[in-house]
Amino acid sequence: MTTYETSSTQSNRNLAAILTFLVIVIVLMVIALLNAPTMGGPKVMASASTYLQEVRRTALPFLGAVAVLAIALGMSAARMVYREWPYPKRRLNLIMGYAFLAPYLLITLTFTVGVVLFAFYISFNNYDIFTPPQWAGLSNYAKAFQGKDFLQSLYNVLWYTLIVVPTQTTIAILLAVLLNSSINFKQFFRTIFYAPSVTSSVVITLIFIWFYLKTGYINFFLAKFFGVFGLHWQNINWLGDPRGLIQLIVQAFGGDIPSKQWYFRGPSIAWMSIMFQNIFTTAPTFMIMFLAALQDINPTLYEAASIDGANGWQQFRNITLPLLRPIILLVVVLGTIGTLQVFDQVYLATSGGPLGTSLTPVFIVFREALGSQGPIRMGYASGLAFILAVLIFFFTFLQRRFISNETQLY
Amino acid sequence: MAVKVETLKQVGTQQPGKPGSYYVGTFLRYLLLALIGLILFMPFILAALGTFKTDAEIISFPPKLFPQEWHVENWARVWNTDLGNGGTFPRWLFNTAFLAVTVAVLEVIFCSMAAYAFARMEFPGRDAVFNFMLATMMIPGAVTLIPAYVLMTKLHLINSFGSLILPGAVSAGSIFLLTQFFKSIPKDLEEAAVIDGAKHSEIYREVIIPLARPALLTVFILQFQAMWNAFLQPLLYLNSADKYVLNVALSIFQQQFKAQWNLTLVGAMFNAIPVMILFFIFSKYYIEGVAYTGIKG
Repeated sequence: MTTYETSSTQSNRNLAAILTFLVIVIVLMVIALLNAPTMGGPKVMASASTYLQEVRRTALPFLGAVAVLAIALGMSAARMVYREWPYPKRRLNLIMGYAFLAPYLLITLTFTVGVVLFAFYISFNNYDIFTPPQWAGLSNYAKAFQGKDFLQSLYNVLWYTLIVVPTQTTIAILLAVLLNSSINFKQFFRTIFYAPSVTSSVVITLIFIWFYLKTGYINFFLAKFFGVFGLHWQNINWLGDPRGLIQLIVQAFGGDIPSKQWYFRGPSIAWMSIMFQNIFTTAPTFMIMFLAALQDINPTLYEAASIDGANGWQQFRNITLPLLRPIILLVVVLGTIGTLQVFDQVYLATSGGPLGTSLTPVFIVFREALGSQGPIRMGYASGLAFILAVLIFFFTFLQRRFISNETQLY
Repeated sequence: MAVKVETLKQVGTQQPGKPGSYYVGTFLRYLLLALIGLILFMPFILAALGTFKTDAEIISFPPKLFPQEWHVENWARVWNTDLGNGGTFPRWLFNTAFLAVTVAVLEVIFCSMAAYAFARMEFPGRDAVFNFMLATMMIPGAVTLIPAYVLMTKLHLINSFGSLILPGAVSAGSIFLLTQFFKSIPKDLEEAAVIDGAKHSEIYREVIIPLARPALLTVFILQFQAMWNAFLQPLLYLNSADKYVLNVALSIFQQQFKAQWNLTLVGAMFNAIPVMILFFIFSKYYIEGVAYTGIKG
């Protein structure tokens, strides 16, 4: 603070600001260069110079846009450095702070921000890696709603979220309340309940595919169960059955829904089988979160309520649930984000079938990006991913509004 | 008031005597807990028993609980599978473990550094960067999937472990968890260190890191598990048999063995058992981490 005036610090100060500006602009431009929308392929990727040539040919507008951003960011950072430089302690804090953040910032800017910018640009292009991107305007977004596949995937995933999220949240709360009741071996049961959830979704899905076979345990248990009442159970090929829930109800009354009106059929048996598996594996995870919240509730609240003559259900309804609301919001939001992006189960168990009743947006994104069914369409796939992202933001926002509004009632 | 006194009396009299219904209720509660535990474990029990069945037995109807004969050699058959190009089971196990440990170690180092800056240092732009980090947590994985793949081709990282290690070396979730934890460490300790003339790098190394060991262990375990269980990225990036991780190998297995479910299930067990063991050893840290963040692989 005292050495403010001397000219040597003044020149140091200018130098530091200029250096900051240069470093930020160069780093950001290198990241942009790595993520520049050019064609790939062995010819372009042969060396740095062939790549740069290709960048110059097709990606200059993209780099220009990023450059504007980089310069703006660099200038504000340079001003910050200029302002802090004369004070030795603040200067040190500034340098150390960003030094500690550097690994995180570099990786995130490259692998998150950079790639998102690339994806956004490419979603307005036709792009398959092997040819230069071609500007296509909004056609990728329009195309998403013209074909049946993506619409059906949204339809499926909405049913999925609608059924899975409330069910798994309810089960998780019930399990947590049960575990939190006055029992011994609390830790032991908590561990046992949660253990199956630590394994990978691939393992669980494979085991469940085996369960769902026509000769599998699910049919076996159902046959045993109905046998008790003297009824015959017709074995179902669970993961291959396209009949929808609403369609089954209509069929019970002798009608049917034609495949043209697939959107009236409801979730298929195959799709509901995957839902069941998902609930089974996710509920214990959320149970852990609820349990932690329950243990934070002051026990005197329950004591006071029971003195006032409130029974177990009233205590649950009027004390536990209201106090759990923040966690319920978190669990519902996390559950929604997860269910809207379901992939592993679909890839392994059904590949989107039967009749597209287990298609999901992420599965289509994967399929289109790799061209495993038809040509590689990365621009289109990126467009779909952004539509999904908007949907996720929308739901998160809605739930936040809805659930926090409700909280004010209490 | 009179009513309250009465109920108080009732509550009071119930405690010492403990009527028969109390024991019945407790018994039913434990029965219910045991039953739920059994149901949740059922897939693993049935799958583990299935690994010892013959090819025919595993898909016969009605299925039996226990194998007629215990075919222990199924495990050896899977362990000795060779997909060519160096694609063997020990190799995949090594790949998976190597990736999981590497990513988890890098996460602990880099995320704790960032968390220290967020929790303990004062500098302009800190809150802006923190908010930026929270915003990146909202980006769904589906959006970054394709462009990350293109970037990996440009960096010549396709079919190399770098494609999973580099982007996996930090995560907003871990930084968030550690930031919260660092904030809860009392500042007095550090003020003593500052009077001693310690710099930030020393406070970080000598004060915060030793005190934050449980939180760091939580991050390590959660990230280890997340990488061990990762499927979509490895499936996309790793495409030669010697580079597969267990999950990818398993999905190929399932297509290759078709109806030989006994063998596929052995593969599933090889995949599940190490994480389960790790979980039972460190269950406390696991559960605390999940309870705080909801992160799960």
